[in-house]
Amino acid sequence: MPVAQRPRMTAAPSEQEDMPRRRLLSWFTSVGLFGSAVLSAFSNFVFIKPRATYGQPARFAIGKPEEFPPGTRISLDARRVCIVREGGKMAAISTTCTHLGCIVGVSDTGFACPCHGSRFDQDGNITGGPAPKPLPWYKVSLKPNGDLEVDKGVEVMPGTYYNV
Amino acid sequence: MRLALAIASFVVLIVHGVVFYDQFFHRWERHQEAYFDQARALSKNQQERAELEARAPRIEQVIVTSFGDTRVDRCGTCHIAADDPRFQGHAQPLRTHSYSAALGDTLRNGRWERRHKFSDFGCTVCHDGQGRGLENYYSHGEDPYWPEPLLGFVTQANWRAEFKPHLRGPEYLEANCAQCHTEENFAGTPHVSRGRKLFFSMNCYGCHRIEGMSEGTLGPDLTEVGKKWRVDYLWESIVDPRANLATSFMPKFQLSDADVESLVIFLKSRRGMNFAETSLARYRATHAAEIKPAAQPAGVRGEDLVREHACTACHKLGAEDGGIAPDLTFEGLLKDEDWIFEHFRNPRSRIPDSIMPAFRFPEEEFHAMAGYLAGRKSPPAPASPAETYQGLCARCHGEKGNGQGKVAYYLDPAPRDLTKAGFMNSKPRERLLHSIETGVPGTSMPAWGKILPPERAEAMLGYVLTTFTREPRREQAAHRVPEANPVASSAGSIAHGEQIFVQRCSGCHGRKADGKGPNSLDIVPRPRNLRNSFFVAALSDRRLFDSILYGVQGTAMPAWIDYGLSQQDVGDIVNFIRSLNQKPTGSQYARR
Repeated sequence: MPVAQRPRMTAAPSEQEDMPRRRLLSWFTSVGLFGSAVLSAFSNFVFIKPRATYGQPARFAIGKPEEFPPGTRISLDARRVCIVREGGKMAAISTTCTHLGCIVGVSDTGFACPCHGSRFDQDGNITGGPAPKPLPWYKVSLKPNGDLEVDKGVEVMPGTYYNV
Repeated sequence: MRLALAIASFVVLIVHGVVFYDQFFHRWERHQEAYFDQARALSKNQQERAELEARAPRIEQVIVTSFGDTRVDRCGTCHIAADDPRFQGHAQPLRTHSYSAALGDTLRNGRWERRHKFSDFGCTVCHDGQGRGLENYYSHGEDPYWPEPLLGFVTQANWRAEFKPHLRGPEYLEANCAQCHTEENFAGTPHVSRGRKLFFSMNCYGCHRIEGMSEGTLGPDLTEVGKKWRVDYLWESIVDPRANLATSFMPKFQLSDADVESLVIFLKSRRGMNFAETSLARYRATHAAEIKPAAQPAGVRGEDLVREHACTACHKLGAEDGGIAPDLTFEGLLKDEDWIFEHFRNPRSRIPDSIMPAFRFPEEEFHAMAGYLAGRKSPPAPASPAETYQGLCARCHGEKGNGQGKVAYYLDPAPRDLTKAGFMNSKPRERLLHSIETGVPGTSMPAWGKILPPERAEAMLGYVLTTFTREPRREQAAHRVPEANPVASSAGSIAHGEQIFVQRCSGCHGRKADGKGPNSLDIVPRPRNLRNSFFVAALSDRRLFDSILYGVQGTAMPAWIDYGLSQQDVGDIVNFIRSLNQKPTGSQYARR
């Protein structure tokens, strides 16, 4: 008797319930696979740019604003930037010559490259020589502890000053 | 099937999610956000607030190239307030690094100026730790595979528990200060200076070499010891030298915990090339380095030298006792000046298995010290045998006569166990008395004859036999042993003796007959070193035959007559042993 009954008792309800169950399972499967695909794609895009690199850091602290009295033009050769302060305005101008990468010197009229005679004015614009582009300006900001910070990874428009 | 697929894809999603979370949500981000919030509350004007708003958590790193290998220190990623003076007294990691005049920081107009700027020095130059790590476990060096945990702050989990409390404290950082501040007695590194003094006053320099400082050869070279080992290993090696090398004979010196700490800090500062010197300067220094002992003013007395060279770090002399080496109080009665001088120049030329280092003092100093020691001729006041035993014998043979005196471990051959009745009763009384009165050549047993006249020596032997050996002596069956070796020494006889020796004896006595065979470590007392010329020369053929044929009771030496050695064989072995030892020159004991 039970042998005869079993197909009838199980087959009839399962025919109807199987469809929603099957749909639910495929929904779960697709959420799982699609979700992990999205996560990996996102991670891959994020990791294209490393969070930290070796080599000389692009971002560095240069000290308190008081260490640079108004009128200062100091070239930090190790960092290859020139710190400029005019009144309450501060800026960091690159001292790497845009021609072949020599360190340009700070002169009365602006910057002068010792290698091939490129000349730049006070704001880094070309006034002579083989340099193809003006000297870039870098972003200056204030760290929470009051130190000035130069970020050589971010160039700003020439003439953009940071107000101390 | 579909269910399995659904579950599997969900598991993949969860794993992905966990990895994603781990890679994109960090503890250090939370620390930085907390810092920005607190800084915003402290900020004074709109501009500062705007600056803070514009900031997002990011990895802060300092790249330091001036101190050895390039370091990438990311400590500031969590310890972001280390250089912000407003956060003094906050909980770590958001606490200002302390300012201290001792570190050279200066207070100007109410504002501290650091001597060691973090942008120039980084963090790991002073603190150690793994600069690139961004999790506590790695960056603080808790990972047992990282060789440099934060000095004085982090103890790794596998360090011995009883050492851990000793290995904490800011004084350990002095080991890193000394990488640049190499001057002796630099005010900022008192523990290093103290450790350096102890290195000399405890005579570590006699055995260990440190480039430019000492020339010892018995122990390991310590020039780069701080680079190779962590502080726990250094501590363990000083207080328990046998923990890492079972056969080490480095003595356990009498050192307080403070002494050990100073020594550990001093040793941790020995890292080969330090930051203060260039490789060229180091190359020149190592080639120019000739360690000259400080010139002694003429006419300096041996007594002062003995004190200055800290002989009592090991030896006993009068009231001072290092607890490691024999008593020198009556040295003048036991040895003569020539012996002491030659023993100073090379201790192993007189006692072949001595652990005493050959110090490299000038000869005049050796002469002065030998003269002083040879002049110590006042004998101890006569006393009862029991008191005499405790005064003269117990240092080596032990208070209970079991051969476990406090210096026994450092003596080779070891002092005789006087409680072993098997040995004591198998030897004739005359021989035991002879050992007391004239000593045992080539060993640390001195000739007590000058201190103990015959009747007192006799009383001493009686005391030893009744107190320690206890078992009554029994009649021994007579041994059939020739008075002199009947086999004439010849190349053939020696070769045959060597063949038998390698087959029968080398398991314990070693192929080189130096008593260090493969079984020797399991045997107490240790097998005899048969290359000890003084000892072998003093043995009669009769004693050699007796020991080989009938064994030595109370030791592992079997009676070889039971294993089929004939008199001819033993004669060949004796010829072989004699051929190994040249006739020693110089007397062993004070002339009587």
